[in-house]
Amino acid sequence: MPTISVNRKDFDKLLGRHVTDKELEAWLPLVKGEIKEVDAASGEIRFELQDSNRPDLWCVEGIARQIRVKLNGRPDSYPYLRTAKRRLDQILVEQGLERVRPFIGGCKVRGYKVAEEGLAQLIQTQEKLADIFGRKRRMVSIGLYRLPSIKFPVTYVLADPDRTRFRPLGYGEPMSLREILEIHPKGQEYGGLLSGHDQVPLLRDAKGDVLSFPPIINSRDIGEVQVGDADLFIEVTGTDLRMVMLAVNILAANLHDRGASIEPVEVVYPSKTAYGRTVRMPQAFSKPCAIKLSDVSTALGDALSPKDIRASLASYGYTVTGSGSRLLVSLPPYRNDLMHPVDVVEDVAISRGYNAFGPIMPATFTVGGLSRIEQLSDKVRELMLGFGFQEIVSNILGARVDLIHRMRLSNGHPEARCVEIENVMSQSYECLRQWVLPSLLRVETASSRSFYPHFLFELGEVVVLDPQTETGTRTEVRLGALLAHANANFSETHSFLDLLCFYLGWAYALTPTDHPSFLEGRVGRVEREGNAVGLIGELHPEVLERWQITMPCSAFELVIDLPGKSQS
Amino acid sequence: MSEVTQLAESLHPHEVKVVSALKASAQREGLTEEDLAKAAGLEVAQVSAALGRLQLKGLVTVLSETTRPIVSLTETGKHYFQRYAPMVRVMSALRAAAEKGGQLTIKDIQTREGLDSGEISTSVGELKREGVLAIGVGGVVQTTSAASVTADSLQQLIRFVHEGPKPLSEFPASDQALIEKFSQKRGKPKEPFRVDERVIRTYGLQELGHAVALKIQKEGVREEATRLTPEMLKDGSWRQVRFRKYTIALKPARIAAGKKHPYREFLDLVKAKLVSMGFEEMRGGLIENEFWNMDALFMPQFHLARETHDVYFVKEPRHSSPIPEPFLSQVAGAHEHGDRTGSSGWDYTFDRMRTRRLVLRSQGTAVSARTLAATPHVPGKYFSIARCFRYDQVDATHAPDFFQIEGIVLGPDINFRTLLGLLTLFAREVAQAQEIRFAPAYFPFTEPSVEVHVRHPRLGWIELGGAGLFRPEVRLPLGVEVPVIAWGLGLDRMAMVALDIHDIRDLFSADLEMIRSKRVQY
Repeated sequence: MPTISVNRKDFDKLLGRHVTDKELEAWLPLVKGEIKEVDAASGEIRFELQDSNRPDLWCVEGIARQIRVKLNGRPDSYPYLRTAKRRLDQILVEQGLERVRPFIGGCKVRGYKVAEEGLAQLIQTQEKLADIFGRKRRMVSIGLYRLPSIKFPVTYVLADPDRTRFRPLGYGEPMSLREILEIHPKGQEYGGLLSGHDQVPLLRDAKGDVLSFPPIINSRDIGEVQVGDADLFIEVTGTDLRMVMLAVNILAANLHDRGASIEPVEVVYPSKTAYGRTVRMPQAFSKPCAIKLSDVSTALGDALSPKDIRASLASYGYTVTGSGSRLLVSLPPYRNDLMHPVDVVEDVAISRGYNAFGPIMPATFTVGGLSRIEQLSDKVRELMLGFGFQEIVSNILGARVDLIHRMRLSNGHPEARCVEIENVMSQSYECLRQWVLPSLLRVETASSRSFYPHFLFELGEVVVLDPQTETGTRTEVRLGALLAHANANFSETHSFLDLLCFYLGWAYALTPTDHPSFLEGRVGRVEREGNAVGLIGELHPEVLERWQITMPCSAFELVIDLPGKSQS
Repeated sequence: MSEVTQLAESLHPHEVKVVSALKASAQREGLTEEDLAKAAGLEVAQVSAALGRLQLKGLVTVLSETTRPIVSLTETGKHYFQRYAPMVRVMSALRAAAEKGGQLTIKDIQTREGLDSGEISTSVGELKREGVLAIGVGGVVQTTSAASVTADSLQQLIRFVHEGPKPLSEFPASDQALIEKFSQKRGKPKEPFRVDERVIRTYGLQELGHAVALKIQKEGVREEATRLTPEMLKDGSWRQVRFRKYTIALKPARIAAGKKHPYREFLDLVKAKLVSMGFEEMRGGLIENEFWNMDALFMPQFHLARETHDVYFVKEPRHSSPIPEPFLSQVAGAHEHGDRTGSSGWDYTFDRMRTRRLVLRSQGTAVSARTLAATPHVPGKYFSIARCFRYDQVDATHAPDFFQIEGIVLGPDINFRTLLGLLTLFAREVAQAQEIRFAPAYFPFTEPSVEVHVRHPRLGWIELGGAGLFRPEVRLPLGVEVPVIAWGLGLDRMAMVALDIHDIRDLFSADLEMIRSKRVQY
């Protein structure tokens, strides 16, 4: 979720009128935005934008534009998109870049006096697009330059990292590309994107001057835009042509909205792309979508007239053509998020306002109910509560030290096997519990000051490895019960287990066993229908010591759903 | 029954004894707890408890309160009482040696008596000062007198104080000086006595107390039983017995009881609501493959929506068994070019191996996806309360794992307005909210998407949940032709209010005292 910072005055200027807080609140649904913070003194507003598919909204220009279009009832026009007669300046792409960073786009910006707020916003937009939309520059990165310093055509080439030198932003002396990768902070941060390539991308003008080393760093000589500059060149490189084109379109629309005049350029590729060998940028490239009016009405549950639908779409930025029951709708150039007519349906609803639709209460009859395992779980819980046990709910993620070491299980013990996480965030949460007892002991450790006796139970999920299943694991619902008091012992615990099984109608048998977590000779395996389904015993003093528990504990743990019956 | 009678009959036997002792006493200034213990034949602690209750009942009052220095034995003093003070032992060791004609050095005495270096040096120093011994040639200790007055007096005092703490003023001046000398204080931690300023209270009867005592005096203490026994019932002797009356307003002792976990109690309420609204429960495993967790939900494998949706990966095993057909091909087709869904798709090469990568279930929607593929009821309503995991830093707003409450609604009459209707029903039933607002939202698998805000009676406007109509790219590849609502409720904030906690991790607290003392106010 991008969060952006916007200056109130700048926002008003872009919108063309002053906006009250109340109006702003009311319009935010149009951009799926939320105000996070307002600094009344500086006039700064922080917005969070929700829609991952609408990078055009991650800037003040985009937010103001969506609202302005609504107020005007029709989309803005972008004259630079119409085919120009005269010959355009070119960016020439060299053979071989398709293996490294294939695509480039750009445009020229004239007559725009770079002011402080505009520059700050331009840089913020550049960052959000490269960071979030461009996945930390991997798929898209952006460069801004002073246009007067550039002689066209610009060439996008592959360069030898040791034989090319230029002065990068932030440094006084020329450096080789390799030095930049090794020494420059941006080289260190983004160099990984070029690893494995002997030759790296470079952008040069017709004089041979370096514009930038994409996607790492601009030249300090041409690529350091400052307040007061009037004419700019914007360039976008990336790995996906449509993403590159969309980024160019968004930046062009933003500067157009600030009064600049945009001059397109032509990108000449060594071979054909999805948009031809010569690709003009910016261009309106998203495909129109045919929609049936009846589909819109059915999906929304409201019989909207063709006029309503047209008006809703126009006031949300769409260009609508066609007539009768079918419309042909096109997105504005700064969007490319239309995959299916349902996307248009949502925009109709957003444009009209969700609260304008009357809710229809559910009228269809369906039978509610719980799964077999949940019904059984509830029955077990009810019995345990009746036996006087306090219910516990624990986290399922845990630490190996708790689940295995503190239980005196050796690493090789079959019950020490649990599902571990590969990308561990914290040692405390490195694996999924394979049994419930450690969760109850964790409570006992933390609760010696709560009056005794402690009769605890948890009915919850654990995960055990099982190569026979689809996921190689099995999620089991288990009951763990722990008795902690001065006289806690096997026979008392057995009484509860016995009573539980009696009420559940379960025939069970106890067989003596050895288990490191329990005292020898005071531990048994619980068997049902020929399956080992649990353990009962007095916890080993060493286990209690490892948990720093100074009260005798006795416990049982039981699988509630027998293997093979796990899914309801 | 008069108040006096009622009171007299409700007295505990100890209270009767205390009241009677006070009545019998001629002391006008009242009696101390110690006096009363002696007079009533009770322990001081019993007297103290009885006095507390008698004061509450208005029978007894404090007559005077004075602060007096009280002498008592320290742990060292109790030890000296049993094994004698070091000075005494030094003297007796020397006497014993002299009788046998032997001689002892300081070291000999220390070893023989098992004294520590501090004890031996202080005792010998003290005895030298008194002039009863001297150190001779070769460090041999010589006595000049058979007995030490200081040592004998000290041992007597220890024996006397051992009977119980005594006011310092009751001792003669010489003993007081000795006690002061051998008292524990700063810099002298190992001494037999301690002198504490203690508040001494004397107690006397109130007017009501006199009346009650008089009544008891006149009528005597009846034979009273504290409890009814099976024997009394068997032989009918209960008829001859008077049962002591209780003071019933006293605070009772706490007991350990069986109780639901407060968070589970909250979730049970939600579960019951959902079932009452006609929802069927769905379940799934905690370990999922990427296919059901994300691919089937039309979250493209390369896309931002997926990268920001951070999941935990399973270390071993890494992959599930292959995804069943036709779902794999149909979902792959939807991702790549839309297939028959009417969509243009995400236009990339779908990685079929990646679908099998195992993850910890990161969203309850994975359970919904599996339900869609398993010929669900149409019309049908489903819910799950599913434990989910996200790769997030754990803090006051992020638990390591958490419950997601969500589900689906299928039916031919499903549309945007029935979606809003369902959310309205949730708002009323689950959040008891009358005021509702809808806002556009973004979820990768629904279009249109909506979030619902409600005015909570205590929290003001809060987000209750998110929902939407599953994209055709989600439901068609899984074989569902009718529209489907996908909904999710974010109830943790409501749960935290219901439980009065401020850190989401406390929903899974390990603190039994906290769990026992919470009550759910839903």
